[in-house]
Amino acid sequence: MNLSNLKNCNAEEVATVLEVEGRELLVEKFASLGLPHKMTEEYHYFDVEKLLDVEYKTLNYIPKTIELGDKIEIVDGVVTKAPKGMRVYSEPCEIIDMEHFDALYYLGHLLSPHIIRIEVDGDCHVEILHKYTQSDALINYRIVISNQANRHTTMYENFEAEDIRNTLVLYGYDMHIAQDSTLRMVRLQTMSDKKYSMVASHKVSIAKNANALLKNFDFGGGQALQVLKVELSERAHVDAGHLLYLNDDSKRGTASQIIHRGEHSTSKQEAKNILDGQARGIFDALIRVEHSAKFTKAEQNAKSILLHEKAYMASKPQLEIYIDELEASHGATTGQLDEKQLFYLQSRGISYVEARKILVIAFANTLIEQVKDTRHQERIKTAFEEVFYASNKG
Amino acid sequence: MSTVMKIENLQAKIGDKQILKGLNLELEAGKVHAIMGPNGAGKSTLSKTIVGHYDVEVLGGDITYKGKSIVDMDAEERALEGIFLSFQHPVEIPGVNNAYFLRTALNAKRKHEGKDELNAAEFLRLMKSHLEMLGMKSDMISRSLNEGFSGGEKKRNEILQMLILEPEVIILDEIDSGLDIDALRAVSEGINKMKDGKRTFLVITHYSRILDYIEPDYIHVLKDGKVIKTAGPELVAQLEENGYDAIEEE
Repeated sequence: MNLSNLKNCNAEEVATVLEVEGRELLVEKFASLGLPHKMTEEYHYFDVEKLLDVEYKTLNYIPKTIELGDKIEIVDGVVTKAPKGMRVYSEPCEIIDMEHFDALYYLGHLLSPHIIRIEVDGDCHVEILHKYTQSDALINYRIVISNQANRHTTMYENFEAEDIRNTLVLYGYDMHIAQDSTLRMVRLQTMSDKKYSMVASHKVSIAKNANALLKNFDFGGGQALQVLKVELSERAHVDAGHLLYLNDDSKRGTASQIIHRGEHSTSKQEAKNILDGQARGIFDALIRVEHSAKFTKAEQNAKSILLHEKAYMASKPQLEIYIDELEASHGATTGQLDEKQLFYLQSRGISYVEARKILVIAFANTLIEQVKDTRHQERIKTAFEEVFYASNKG
Repeated sequence: MSTVMKIENLQAKIGDKQILKGLNLELEAGKVHAIMGPNGAGKSTLSKTIVGHYDVEVLGGDITYKGKSIVDMDAEERALEGIFLSFQHPVEIPGVNNAYFLRTALNAKRKHEGKDELNAAEFLRLMKSHLEMLGMKSDMISRSLNEGFSGGEKKRNEILQMLILEPEVIILDEIDSGLDIDALRAVSEGINKMKDGKRTFLVITHYSRILDYIEPDYIHVLKDGKVIKTAGPELVAQLEENGYDAIEEE
């Protein structure tokens, strides 16, 4: 399949190209947004046209018998394992956001007549492992996660690739976070293959008094974009952060919209980006406070360190505010390592190279240490140090 | 007299402004030298120049340490050779664990000296006694380097580093600024502990208060980028009484 065949198609043509029957609203929505191109805001800094204009091998998504495992394992978009008692189904998606800004969110749903539904019971920790084994393929799947009111769930998301060369992964979550509940999602991505692409397009709905913590630790190679839309109800809170470490010529980042709909809702979005080589980082983030969201608090901050003169960071924090009764702040800084800090370390006999490493790791740690579980915190620290040291030998 | 450091006709600038204008100074090994002078005399620039700060451009002259010129050495080389600056305003580094930093610095020095590196347990034992002496809480070593430390805590942390790294030439830049009496006493105690007749101190200060706690052997008055007078500790009282303006260039 070549997704560029969907370029400039009307709804009827989209349905024909994708061989979709029914699902008219979804088809119309996708057709109205059109296939993303370089002028599409959220894909402006991402070579989306190039990765869509490729002939990909398509896969058959045949649900398998789910074996018992210690984590949820999804291989090339199909669930193969799940822990005991975990309710994981493959079924048609019932709730789709019809106001999402991302065309690939709709394309993902259109390409996935069945979604992976994960229902989280009680207070628990869940690990999700995404495995990829196919080169030159279009791997497409969507996951719906819902939890119960008054419950607290932590999910750790990891990725592994046996072979992912020239593959495009389109996946994403629709998360429904119930009233008075907490959902923490900690995502660690370290797949280093330089020749794959991934677009993860998410929708997160946070009900009244609920909390979401969405932390993305992205140290991968290749090209990837996380597209995130979050909606906050009354007194809901989201803490969305990402730590990006890029090297070589990788292009990765986040394009997001956090929308305050309910009164007294709060959001915190913190991005830390470390770019080396000729990498290009993306942080295109909008916080919108609607008329209904009085007494909102919104905080957005992006800090980027460029370790090489050819590295480039596209930071675009934005606030769109329709009320007066709120507290909001945003800012972005891009620069090199702090000279004063470097000198302080050198003045104690630490070499320039080692001081530089210490400061980069320190910059990363301030976000990694927000992961409260020490085992996972250490795992992320180790993953970061491995990737960073591997590309800064000597 | 055995000279550990000799500064000859040193000229240096920061930005477009020349601050040191032919400064001469000899540091006698094992002695406490106090550098006093009015604001803008070049005291802090002198300390920065000795440790190889990136702000400073040396225009002329030389600094020899144990007979070897150091003006072309990197800051870390000077530190490894035994030159230590206690900063007037120690920088905060969020995310760098204080203990990790200290151990990394100590092990870099030990490696330079051809000694084995200390493991975490050995290092903690070494640090514990110093912490008690400086009146530092043990949690300060597990916190990020200087982050959220009070002025006094930062200065104590500088002295802790000095005690652990055991340098040979110790430059204390306004070590007393922002310290209350208790902190000043603790910091002075740490410094006096290092006075073993082998280490050399260069105490840079505006006021004589610190010299009540750290007894100097020599007072050097710095004015307009030059040392204009060198004398014994009796000069302190004269400066207190008549100020810097009364000092004539020798």
